[in-house]
Amino acid sequence: MAKKVQGNTASPLERTSRMLDLVPYINTHQGISLVDLAEVFEVTTDQMISDLTTLWMCGLPGYTPLELMDLDFESGYVTIRNAPTLARPRSITHEEGVALVLGLEVLRSSISTEREDLIAAIASLSQRIARLVNLPLALSASSDISHEVTTTVRQAISHRSGLKISYHSLYKDEISSRVVLPLEILESQGTLYLHAYCFTAQDFRHFRIDRIRSAESAEVEKPSTTPPVNPEKIRFEVKVVRPTRDVAERFEESNLEAGTVFKSSSFSQHWIARSVLASGGAVELLSPAEIRSEIAERAQMILNRYEG
Amino acid sequence: MVSRKSERLINLTIALLATKRFITKSEIFKTIDGYEGSSESKERMFERDKDDLRSLGIEIEVGSFDPLFNDEAGYRIKQERYQLDLGDIAALEISLLSLAAQAWQGASLDDAAQRALVKLNSLGIAIDEENMPDSAPFFSDGGPDLPIITRAIAEHQILEFTYRNYELTDEVRSVVPIGLSTRSGFWYFTGVDQSIEEVRTFRFDRVIGSFIVKKGPKEFETPENFDSQRIFERDIATQAVIDIRLGKGTSLRALASSTKSIGEWDQVRIPILDMRTLSALILWHGDDVYVHSPNELREIIIAGLKDLVKTHG
Repeated sequence: MAKKVQGNTASPLERTSRMLDLVPYINTHQGISLVDLAEVFEVTTDQMISDLTTLWMCGLPGYTPLELMDLDFESGYVTIRNAPTLARPRSITHEEGVALVLGLEVLRSSISTEREDLIAAIASLSQRIARLVNLPLALSASSDISHEVTTTVRQAISHRSGLKISYHSLYKDEISSRVVLPLEILESQGTLYLHAYCFTAQDFRHFRIDRIRSAESAEVEKPSTTPPVNPEKIRFEVKVVRPTRDVAERFEESNLEAGTVFKSSSFSQHWIARSVLASGGAVELLSPAEIRSEIAERAQMILNRYEG
Repeated sequence: MVSRKSERLINLTIALLATKRFITKSEIFKTIDGYEGSSESKERMFERDKDDLRSLGIEIEVGSFDPLFNDEAGYRIKQERYQLDLGDIAALEISLLSLAAQAWQGASLDDAAQRALVKLNSLGIAIDEENMPDSAPFFSDGGPDLPIITRAIAEHQILEFTYRNYELTDEVRSVVPIGLSTRSGFWYFTGVDQSIEEVRTFRFDRVIGSFIVKKGPKEFETPENFDSQRIFERDIATQAVIDIRLGKGTSLRALASSTKSIGEWDQVRIPILDMRTLSALILWHGDDVYVHSPNELREIIIAGLKDLVKTHG
């Protein structure tokens, strides 16, 4: 997960923006604790006290107690009075509108079509926000994850119960049925993984949630606590024949030129063979020799079918 | 110092919001706390403050309070432009917007989404937890440039950028974007390529370096049949007809527009978005897949296989 860069909370503009948003928030959350308020605005308590102290000096021209906002936060709990001009939240910016509309889009794609009430509410919200920030409705986002699967997996994690999943292994191109004890859901580079103990493999495994075809609860025993065995990585060597973007992205190698030789490794010989096949002659596998000759045989066999 | 600046900006905002009529610069200097020094430095301060407020998205109106006389210009902020106005908003809608904002956790627009959420929560409407959908979606990180694209879509601007093409030679493209989409963890934008005047789709992570924003062509019109929801949909004219062995080719089947059983094999039709991507996916599946048509696709596959035999045999 990308680490969030902490903004410069002391930049005067950022502070101004935050203080303008503080007034309406306190207005509808009277009596909120300083600690909670600091958390909502993602600043330290000291920064929050400093913001409130500055706000306390602000008001209408004249700047007598009558015109100043009435802010109270000495007790550790914050209340505000006499701030009618700033009492309503500010309108949202273009960027904020983009975030909400795209968020609504992906939300719509992830909920089951039976929830017509939600789908209608989302459509109406999207339209209103898009109009507000002058955003063309030319955005689309979809979630590839089955609604039923995620719900079942999350329930199994919270009940500490087992699951029988049908899983598509991309490298083997097989759908296998596995019994697992789900432990947690992890996110890495935009993909969700289920970390689970797999009774079929008798080891801990990560499963891509978008490749779980179905999931149902299953009886399991507690997993044995023997340490997992790490399979050995297969080292391979590839020579570039024609540099293409496909090759660069598939093998995660940049700066490719015809004739470049690079080394890499993979846990799966299926992945190596299939990746070279998919490159359609743009790369040559130099080693291991067994996979190399397997590729030649398979390519010839498929070719015979086309030419036969 | 920092405190003083924010204080002055807040006071200026309050004064300009509270006034019905336009107030002049001299009134501002006289009544609003914080404008000090020579008249020149006050002027400079005020110009900067106006720019700063505008950069926060606050609209400052300029006008004169008596149109018959050539008066000194006056300023005000309209409450209805300043305030968030989404019409009547229900508890359920606030809940949906919270989920929409949460989808950005750890991804590009996380901060903007959180700021929007604070504003929405300031409306003082309780969340409807009962009717919430029970799964929360999430975004993959599209980088910080998403708003550049959406703004360019809204304003028909030209984006110039270096793009990594199939041959791995980087080329400069000039595009008026018309749509933004995300699918399978990748972000895409679609636009009218200015040099060929045709609609093309680009993947974000293949853009090298940053975007240069330029003024768009006069009287730009979005191509009539364009629909961002359908960029990846299945109604594309050219379809490949291929056989897939039973129980195999799950990722190819996911792209199929129709499937017909023929014994040990299934015959599927796949819309062709990109001939090279599809041929690579077909080759990946080895002898579990056989292409009937179109001929162009067959020829790419056969040429690839011949190359493989030649280099590996």
